[in-house]
This record gives sequence, C-alpha cells and structure tokens, in this order.
Amino acid sequence: MGIDRVEAGDAELVRRVRAGDIGAYGALVARYRDRLGRYAVHMIGDREDAEEALQDSFVRAYRSLARCNDPARFGAWLYGILVNRCRTTGARAARRRRLFVRDADALNGASHPDQMERLEWTDTVERALARLAPEYREAFLLKHVEDLEYEEIAQLTGAGISALKMRVMRAREQLQRFLREAEHV
Amino acid sequence: MFEQEDDIVERMIRQLRRPVAIDPGLDARVMREIADDAQPQAPGRRPLLRAWPWLAAAAVLGAVVIARPWVRGSDNPDAFQFVLVAPQASSVSLVGDFNDWDPARSPMQTAHGVWATVVPLAPGRYRYAFLVNGIEWRADPGAPAAGDDEFGTPSSVVTVGGEGS
Repeated sequence: MGIDRVEAGDAELVRRVRAGDIGAYGALVARYRDRLGRYAVHMIGDREDAEEALQDSFVRAYRSLARCNDPARFGAWLYGILVNRCRTTGARAARRRRLFVRDADALNGASHPDQMERLEWTDTVERALARLAPEYREAFLLKHVEDLEYEEIAQLTGAGISALKMRVMRAREQLQRFLREAEHV
Repeated sequence: MFEQEDDIVERMIRQLRRPVAIDPGLDARVMREIADDAQPQAPGRRPLLRAWPWLAAAAVLGAVVIARPWVRGSDNPDAFQFVLVAPQASSVSLVGDFNDWDPARSPMQTAHGVWATVVPLAPGRYRYAFLVNGIEWRADPGAPAAGDDEFGTPSSVVTVGGEGS
C-alpha cells in the first residue's frame, strides 16, 4: 500500500480549504491523524512529543497549503512535513528517559500473565526501536510499518533509494540482534 | 528456541502496525489553531454566526469547545466565548468555578447544533464543564483536563491572563 491509494478525494478537500472552507481541513486531519500519529509515536518514542509534532505538522501544512503543488498527493506532502518535524524533535533522550517510568506503571497494573507478557513484548519492541540510529528507524518504519514504496520514501526523506535499502537492511539486522538479546535477559 | 531468521522482526512489524491511540483532543487543537489564522480577532462584539466558518470546522469533529477572548477592555474583565458542537443535544449549560457550577446561570444558545455562551472572566484559573441534556457531563476535548476535580467528573481548565488564555 503506497500513499496514493489511501487519499481519494484529497484534491477536492484541498481545493475547498484553499477556497476558505476550513471545515474541509478538519476532514483531512481526521483522515490522516491516526496513520501519521502512529509514525510519530514510533519515531519519537514519547507520546506527548509525538502528538505535539503531529499537531505542529498539521498546522504547518495548513499554513503552507499554497505550496502543495499536487493536492492529489496531499498525504505524501504531509508525511514529508511530519518526517522533517520528527527529525528535529530530537527526542531519543526523552524516549529513554520516559520509557522506564511508563513501563513501571504499566507493569504494576498488569495482573494476568498474558497481559504481562504482552506488555513485556511491547516494551521489548519499543526498546529495540529506540536503539536504532534515527535514519535507520525512519527508513524501517516508513518501509515496513507505513508500507511505503522506496520511491515514496526517497521523496519524503531526500535519501537515495540504494541508501534507503541499505538502511532498512541494517535496521532489520540490528533489530533481530536486539530482540534476541532481549529474549535472553 | 530461536524463531526462524527474521520471524522475530516480522512479529515486531505486526506489533508496530497496530493502531496507536492518539489524543482525541488533537483535532480540536489543530482546528482551533488554524481557526485563529483564518479569523483574526477583531475588537468589539461579534454575532455568533460571524464565526460560522470555524465553527463549521469544529462540527466536523463532533464536539469541540472553543474558548477565546471576545471583548477586550482595559478596565473590564475579558469576555470568553465557550462553544460546544453537539448537534444531538436538546440543552447545554456551561458550568464552572465562575458560576458556582449552577446550570441555570449560563444556559447556552444553539444555532444548528453549535451551542455558545459568553462569560466575563477576570484573570485567574477556572475549572469548567458542559452539562448536556441536564445529565451528561462533558469536558473540553481540546483543553487541559482539571486533575483536581474532587467530584470525580471530567472537567477542563481555562486560564485567563496567562499563556494559556
């Protein structure tokens, strides 16, 4: 699934927003909030920082809508704004700092063994993701979680396709190692 | 026992593809911010329907509260307009610290499901909520939650005269 196939009607909504109907922008926000929110949460690692980045990206996109050259690809253009915003958040330290607090709270509230196991796996996944270099994490998430094509990722990130493929491959190798290490702790 | 090579990564990918819960108030905060761009605040009292374009935007979101200065004066407290989009409601009242939580003191008027009222507020921090149909208590999804509500019902906070106003 690429970006193009999830945004039928974006061009019309963008046209209406440009004509002064900001209610149409509400529809665009509703359409993209969950998908982009997932990327921001995984990329930044801290929910509050991620939601701030997401909100800021939506507002920036609205203010720059005149610069969206292809309204039919509004989603891809918005992704690009969010990707850049996530890069500047610099929240890796926040991710490490807050992860333990949240996990302690979550684990204390878990009573059933299955629930405990799910929380531990979720925690393992987030820790492994946090250990990746940002450019590896970015490429891995966009390719495998957001399911974008390499051509789309190249447009969003400004990186070449061969470099992106290398990042994704390295990310997978490292994640495999991190996850297996965690299994033996 | 080890999983097959990369199976553990595929399992991780399935985990990461699950939906992530995003604060439901985010949409309202975005729309409030861009509404401020679209409708620069002019001094003086304005009828509710002059603000219709951004209220229409709020309607997309189901229920949104917008509190913003309406009339500014050097010797009068700011007047704040509170808006709740609730197309299905038959009555809505604004209740808060500023009216002793008395629904009868700030009934809201409706236009096409957009309920609004204006309340003068002196500088300070106020908890507030909306009483819908006389029974349903609603907080503002786009405003900070009041964490110190001793009654156990959801409420929000508006701060006048500070950064949050």
